[in-house]
Amino acid sequence: MKLSEDLIEVSVIGGYLGAGKTTLVNHILREASERVAVMVNDFGEINIDETLIDSSNENTISLTNGCICCSLVDGFAAALESVLSLLPRPTRLVIEASGVADPSAIAAHGHSPGLALDAVVVVVDSVRLIEQIADPLIGQTVASQIRAADVIVINKIDLCDTLASVNVELSELNPNALLVYANKAKADLDLLFGREILRTASAAGHMGKFESRTHESAQPILRENLETLIENLPSNIQRVKGIVRLAEAPRIPMVFQLVGRSWELRALADRGKSPEGNRLVVIGPKGSIPIGWDNFLS
Amino acid sequence: MSDAKVTIFTGKKIITMNPAVPVAQAIAVQGDRILGVGTVEDLAQWGDYELDEQFEDYVLMPGFVEAHSHVMAGAVWEFPYVGFYDRPDPLGHTWSGCQTIAAVVDRLAECERELKDPNQTLVAWGLDPIFLDGERLVAKHLDQISATRPIFVFHASGHLATVNSAMMDRSSIDRYTPTPGVARDTDGEPNGELQEPAAMSLAQDGLSAIGVAMMSSNAKWNYAREARNCGVTTIADLGTTRLTMEGQLEAWHEATSHDDYPARVVVAVGHSDSNLNKKNSNPIVSLAVRLRDEEETAKLRFGIVKLVLDGSIQGFTARISWPHYVNPPPGHPGNGLWLIPPEQLADIVSGYHEAGLTVHCHCNGDEATQVFIDAVDLALQRHPRWDHRHTVQHSQMTTTAQYKKMASLGINANIFSNHIFHWGDQHAAVTIGEERAARMDACATAEREGVVFSVHSDAPITPMSQLHTAWSAVNRLTASGRVLGPEERISVAKALEACTLGAAHQLKLDHDIGSLEAGKLADFAVLEKDPFEVSPKELKNIAVWGTVVGGTPHVASSK
Ligand SMILES: [Zn+2]
Ligand SMILES: [Zn+2]
Repeated sequence: MKLSEDLIEVSVIGGYLGAGKTTLVNHILREASERVAVMVNDFGEINIDETLIDSSNENTISLTNGCICCSLVDGFAAALESVLSLLPRPTRLVIEASGVADPSAIAAHGHSPGLALDAVVVVVDSVRLIEQIADPLIGQTVASQIRAADVIVINKIDLCDTLASVNVELSELNPNALLVYANKAKADLDLLFGREILRTASAAGHMGKFESRTHESAQPILRENLETLIENLPSNIQRVKGIVRLAEAPRIPMVFQLVGRSWELRALADRGKSPEGNRLVVIGPKGSIPIGWDNFLS
Repeated sequence: MSDAKVTIFTGKKIITMNPAVPVAQAIAVQGDRILGVGTVEDLAQWGDYELDEQFEDYVLMPGFVEAHSHVMAGAVWEFPYVGFYDRPDPLGHTWSGCQTIAAVVDRLAECERELKDPNQTLVAWGLDPIFLDGERLVAKHLDQISATRPIFVFHASGHLATVNSAMMDRSSIDRYTPTPGVARDTDGEPNGELQEPAAMSLAQDGLSAIGVAMMSSNAKWNYAREARNCGVTTIADLGTTRLTMEGQLEAWHEATSHDDYPARVVVAVGHSDSNLNKKNSNPIVSLAVRLRDEEETAKLRFGIVKLVLDGSIQGFTARISWPHYVNPPPGHPGNGLWLIPPEQLADIVSGYHEAGLTVHCHCNGDEATQVFIDAVDLALQRHPRWDHRHTVQHSQMTTTAQYKKMASLGINANIFSNHIFHWGDQHAAVTIGEERAARMDACATAEREGVVFSVHSDAPITPMSQLHTAWSAVNRLTASGRVLGPEERISVAKALEACTLGAAHQLKLDHDIGSLEAGKLADFAVLEKDPFEVSPKELKNIAVWGTVVGGTPHVASSK
């Protein structure tokens, strides 16, 4: 779903070198049903680079890196400004982190005015994961990335004969993340982005395994009702998102995100840019969303 | 010999740093080069000359070479200083240290009154709360200065800023702000402290003002003035990605081509990994080669590429080997951060190495040093090349075995000796522990193992002054006054060599600078005392008259 017409949703794509981040970004550019801008790398200054991503999308902005101790001043905010000034405006910004970056540090920028953080997606190479985690040089880097993930895309599963131990490793590192299995990083974007799945839309050529339902209402809701709704969701529903107004602070639009087994409610940085009322969309496997899933809110 | 005019400068003593002729009384200059050193009588053999006796009471040395600093050292002086220690600015005014919150507030109030435009943000820098006793500086203190003008105080660490309520209002920072790093009081209201870049960049015209200042012409001039004031004649701006930005290369040319510009500058190109996915063509290689081959002038030099491999020790982000950190903060993952994937480094280094460039790699932790050494080793196996002078920058925890290996591979070191004074106590107590702190910034080991090395300030991280970095390497005194690791102290002679020929060597400029001898550039530091005569503890206190760059005297601004 779109949170609001004016907001740019931010997806941070992290993962160690070789996991398939660029492949995932290319997959997103091919499959997205919205206007996507891509930012590559995690700090420094901007240059427009059209060749890095293979679809040569004119909205790719690449960042050259700076030195944390050696240059101090951060160019990331400036790069975000240039994304916000793109015309027509993108509705989603995909930030491909460098292979060693901590994606949560990048995600912290996803709350700047005009932006709303959607999710931190970390791609792992299922074939090399166990070996990488055990590596004295890079093990901690890989583990920290996994801990920072809202969504983990477990990539290259066709080539992996140790998927069970990969699952154990991942659930130890991050029991809350939404796990998405993929080959060639072809992850389902409905889950990745929490997309509303239009029943009539074969226009997008998409006959997925998922369905969605949407809640809309006008009156501010009680926090405890929202909590009850979450507790009562079937366990195979791992993606809910939207904007709500809470009775305790009805003037503040709050972004709600449930990904995997964790959820959060955060104020929207840009108060003026959100519609009134509540709008929540739930995405789950076909047949998993009960009618009346949102009864607790009325 | 051409018929250009010859000037013979005399001095109380001329220390040449040339072991073959270590001391002289006079130095003859023609154009921007040294015609010879010796006595006035010796030099008269070159024919007519003009005698310049203005340095008669001073000691002349080769101009110091600061091979690792940043143009930001000049940029920060666009803004008032509120740090703990006294600090001279490039124009010669010494800003007294602000040793209490009240002093910080008074300083800022004074600067606020001088701003004419009521909407202009007051930006200040250098705040170091570790040194201020009692409560922490927060918005309510800054609100005493102005309820309407936004104020942004950038901390010395570079990781934090403190802003006032007017800035929070303007930037819509309130209890609902979702960005991590917005510090809060017990009621959940933001207290004005913004931690890390994402939170700091919420404050409008704060961080970005410093970024803008770094590109200004004034920053480039102040950078060189700061160098002149401490006797430095060649500075390396170690690692910038701004050279590709519009007008920046031209701005460097414009500044450095000016006769009054008082320093030579080596601008190192910062490696950027965003371009590596491109099929085997790293555009930074061609940029750095083109700059070196086509853009060099007498006072603007290129040829170096800067890589950053890990973080900092005091920030617990340096990559250090087992047993890692002694007392890291709660939630610390155990070791530091890589800024480049370690297995990618050999390919990156090889690209620059094969193009004939010199790679300077920031390695604070010993694990990072090892990864860089291995990368250079592999690059050399793939593409044997003599005299590359690739350099470990900071080299703070480099071990004896690593120095041995560096010597055999021809790798240089630039050691961050000032850390001993500024953070040595913390390193012993909190970061790496007594034993490793005693042998960090190990100049004596580098010397013993035959590695060509220099020492640096990383200005503005610590104030620029090669007399201070040399003092630190010679005495290893911490801020609390203890000697940290006496076995790693080096002699005054070796420290001065590190600050002149050692640094010149790693910049590949030792044929031109670093010692005073016939044929080299006429770059001198003009000192009031002889560093070999004063007590080693007084090294950092030697007053500097100024410099001579290419035969042109530049008096320090405090004179
Ligand atoms: Zn550095
Ligand atoms: Zn530096």
